Amino acid sequence: MNKILIGRYIAGDSIVYKMDPRGKLVATILFIFVIFLANNPATYAILTIFSLVAVAATKLKGKVFWDGVKPIIWLILFTSLLQLFFTVGGKVYWQWMMLAISSYGIINAIYIFIRFTLIVLISTVMTVTTMPLEIADAIEWLLTPLKLLKVPVDKIALVMSIALRFVPTLFDQTFKIMNAQRARGADFNNGGLITRAKAITPLLVPLFISSLETAIDLATAMESRGYRGDQGRTRYRILQWSLYDLINLVYFIILVILLLIFRTH
Amino acid sequence: MTIDNIIKIRNVSFTYPDAKEPAINNVTFDIERGSWTSIIGHNGSGKSTIIRLINGLLDADENANSKIEVDGIRLTQKTVWDIRDRVGVVFQNPDNQFVGATVADDVAFGLENRGVSRLEMTKIVPKAIAAVGMSEYADAEPGSLSGGQKQRVAIAGIIAIKPKIIILDEATSMLDPDGRSQVLQVVQQMKDKYGLTVIAITHDIDETALADQVLVMNDGQIVTQGKPEYVFKKTKLLNELGLTVPFFQQVKKDLQSNAINIPDTINSEKELINYLCQLNSKK
Repeated sequence: MNKILIGRYIAGDSIVYKMDPRGKLVATILFIFVIFLANNPATYAILTIFSLVAVAATKLKGKVFWDGVKPIIWLILFTSLLQLFFTVGGKVYWQWMMLAISSYGIINAIYIFIRFTLIVLISTVMTVTTMPLEIADAIEWLLTPLKLLKVPVDKIALVMSIALRFVPTLFDQTFKIMNAQRARGADFNNGGLITRAKAITPLLVPLFISSLETAIDLATAMESRGYRGDQGRTRYRILQWSLYDLINLVYFIILVILLLIFRTH
Repeated sequence: MTIDNIIKIRNVSFTYPDAKEPAINNVTFDIERGSWTSIIGHNGSGKSTIIRLINGLLDADENANSKIEVDGIRLTQKTVWDIRDRVGVVFQNPDNQFVGATVADDVAFGLENRGVSRLEMTKIVPKAIAAVGMSEYADAEPGSLSGGQKQRVAIAGIIAIKPKIIILDEATSMLDPDGRSQVLQVVQQMKDKYGLTVIAITHDIDETALADQVLVMNDGQIVTQGKPEYVFKKTKLLNELGLTVPFFQQVKKDLQSNAINIPDTINSEKELINYLCQLNSKK
């Protein structure tokens, strides 16, 4: 059971962990926009340094972040190579039909590579140091303005927290059903595409049914515990801004100011 | 002194949609304030339906004579939430009634629904968690808890809203023996501490030893009711309904049929052991 890391959260207690999830979420989203402010070597250097400091502040092993980058390393390399070969301009070092390696191409490829990697690194910092539940709370906070448009934010929040709460339970159930079907001869790992798709049926049907049963049981339990929609509900878990979030904010503002100063216009 | 009945049920019937036979057929009974009542019966005898009627999860069939009264309040569409404030239910499956993502969140769920202020919740929740002996798990996620622990959390969630009645709907049937005895112990403690009325639906015949009153149900009707010792004397009837009697009753009966005279006044395992030891020393 404990092998499954929901959302890859890794427990720790460095300064990044103490920050409010709302601050981290907003900073991560803004970072993706801010990264496009960079347009010369100095700004890219600043971005890289600031990101690496953020990574170091988590006090986690480098491997965690490598695991974050690994799944999309091919995408990053592919995009960089396209930039390398198809950008024209500047000094041309090598040419063959449409393909060319030029000074612009090299610089662009490096920039794209840095951009991609930094986005992945920063979002890994966020997901690894924040519990899924906290992320759900942060998303709810971000959605709060939508209440003006009559979006049922409280209900969405409850749905999110119940969904997150049942992820491990459903995983558990999936493995149990798989093992039970294996004990009766089901084979989930062999055969062609169609055979495998068919083999999933004895897994999916019981899983659907048990999910529905769980939902009915849970609804009964919630109702008998006095749940009657959102009206008049209070909240037990709240998020609190702390000094650490000020650090987060100041750090981010310094980054933006530096980028604005050093970028070429 | 008049008997103070916290639950009064009169001529209640209930038929599930699409069912030919009523699941509950004209049932009448009372439950005394502060007592422990066990409801036993084979599968499909209507035990769980009864408790869903009591807290309004199901609506009883229309009938002018029928009524359900809890703590002096008659159950109607208007009063159903008042009644749910007085009745806490622990359900069978520990996984499927855990709403919160952590223990503290789950215990607070009932309070959140009742609009209790956060300041008050931060006082009530730790107390309720401590009452069931789960303090060290306050921030634990449900996946890391055993079934018995989850059921204790469910009890804490009920204690937090200060009900008058706690209903165990086969709450121990999915637990291992340790979890079961811990849960029952906690319920017993809470009952003594807060003067709660306990209704326990159970298959576990040994659990009924805790009861002041036993109701035996069959096909939606109450077949017999009374103190455990009275009910368990009806061994033949219970066997016909597919129920067993507690182990010591079984031993007692077998000994009696083997010409060892054991008085009917013996009604617990301990008494039986003592009596047998004395019997031995007399020889």
